[in-house]
Amino acid sequence: MIQTLRRSWPGVPWVAPTVVLLLALSIYPLVYSVKVSLIGPAGFSLANYTRLVQDRLFLQALAQTLLYTAVALAIEFALGLALALLIDSLGRGRAFFRAGLLAPMLLPPVVVAVIWRLIYTPQFGVLNGTLGVFGINTSALTWTSGESGALASVILVDVWEWTPFLFLLLSAGLQALPQEPLEAARMDGASAWQVFRDIVLPLLKPVMTLAILLRTIDLLRIFDQIFILTQGGPGFATETVSLYIYRTAFRFFNFGYAAAMSFLGLGLTIVFARSLMRVMRVPRVSK
Amino acid sequence: MKSAIKYLLALLALAAAVAPIYWLVTISIKRDIDQFAVPPLWFHFQPTARHYMESFRDGDLARSLWNSTFVASLSTLLAMLLGVPAAYGLERLRWPLDWNQKIGFWILSTRMLPPIVTIVPLFLMLRGAGLLNSRLGLIIVYTALNLPFVVWMMQGFFREIPRELEEAAMMDGDSRMGVLVRVVLPVAKPGLAATVVFCLIVAWNEFLFALILTQTAASTTLPVAIASRVTQYEIKWGAMSAAGVVAMVPVLVFAALAQRYLVRGMSLGAVKG
Repeated sequence: MIQTLRRSWPGVPWVAPTVVLLLALSIYPLVYSVKVSLIGPAGFSLANYTRLVQDRLFLQALAQTLLYTAVALAIEFALGLALALLIDSLGRGRAFFRAGLLAPMLLPPVVVAVIWRLIYTPQFGVLNGTLGVFGINTSALTWTSGESGALASVILVDVWEWTPFLFLLLSAGLQALPQEPLEAARMDGASAWQVFRDIVLPLLKPVMTLAILLRTIDLLRIFDQIFILTQGGPGFATETVSLYIYRTAFRFFNFGYAAAMSFLGLGLTIVFARSLMRVMRVPRVSK
Repeated sequence: MKSAIKYLLALLALAAAVAPIYWLVTISIKRDIDQFAVPPLWFHFQPTARHYMESFRDGDLARSLWNSTFVASLSTLLAMLLGVPAAYGLERLRWPLDWNQKIGFWILSTRMLPPIVTIVPLFLMLRGAGLLNSRLGLIIVYTALNLPFVVWMMQGFFREIPRELEEAAMMDGDSRMGVLVRVVLPVAKPGLAATVVFCLIVAWNEFLFALILTQTAASTTLPVAIASRVTQYEIKWGAMSAAGVVAMVPVLVFAALAQRYLVRGMSLGAVKG
């Protein structure tokens, strides 16, 4: 028995430790979460899930997370693509610009939050200070401390931190493009815009899909920077799903409800990934 | 003319990316009275090392710096020890049907789980095992966090090595493990180095798990220690910025070392770098 196992499955002992550890630390917690989310005071219950739809704070956090994700993704994608095209078209100094532009994405998210705390401080921050130099009245610009501008301000932080990620992927995609079709089109007298629209964009589609997918997964679970910069406030203005789950689990110790919310979030992510793949008609991105 | 505009735009983008980081560094070496001068002092100020000295003197920063270093390096080591053989086994050994692909994909998919889904059970598990507020607990969690990534990256690197090398060594009677250690790993050195660097960065930057799993001053890592400085009622701006710089420098150095592999690492191996 062991003999045949060895002969037909020689790879098992190589992989077993990894699989066991991941079963214990990823899959068991997952199953456990499903279980606690389905248990009420009197045994099996869907109460945690029905409560979701009636919890107005949760729905607000969900709406804000979706808004945050959509706006940040749109800006980051547009800027990242523009930057990738710009840097790609430069003659000398490409490597230098590329390295410098990537810096924000590498920093610990906590450090990003520290930086923007310094920048946004209303009375003495460098942002209002610099705007003041140009004669702009900054008394109304409260950034993360005012309820109306807080969400936009944390989105701006996200744009600063993660546009480099889209730039990195799209720029790698541009570099990997086959040169022949581009040159052939130029020889045929196609304009730069035509080349871009009819050749570069379609060829770039798999990389664009991947970039959007990876970024969206991360955006939907945004936590660190907002937790440190605003803790969801002022009021509830920058509360996201992850922060609300964190509060439910570790401030109010309602683990079952927290788990139910996290599954709704996970479900949304999966639905998004699936539909993105379908829209972009990419059979399998990873290879 | 046209290219001058392009360079100007590129410089503007570069400034937008780098200026905030530069500002952090200046605050960390400015005297308190210069920190929030109006108009802001970008270049002309008297530098001081006081904030760094104070931060290290009160002990918390030094301890969390050590915790971060310890946790990041040990979890990286463990993830490599488990993940490299797994990657090799999946890539080079015979598997019935396409089970290696199935297992590989499953391993990768565990990385896609949002931490907020698994964190509550992990918290309870570690508490049950008496590993809450301990570096060991965090090391175990980070090992699992980095493992899928190690397997995925290393599989890609192994794939690029010609099989003939190994076959020759096997002919000479070397065992599979011997071949991996003596023949394959030396060739895969750049890939190993890049993978190590990525694991180190992930573990070094991680915040949410550390926040929940290590809550005592003795056990916590640098990001959590810094976060508590930001959310204090009265912020010591200089000390906070100095701690931020201390947390930032190793990452930038590591990233510079692994620059060639940045794309592959950042996209979990999905784009050819």
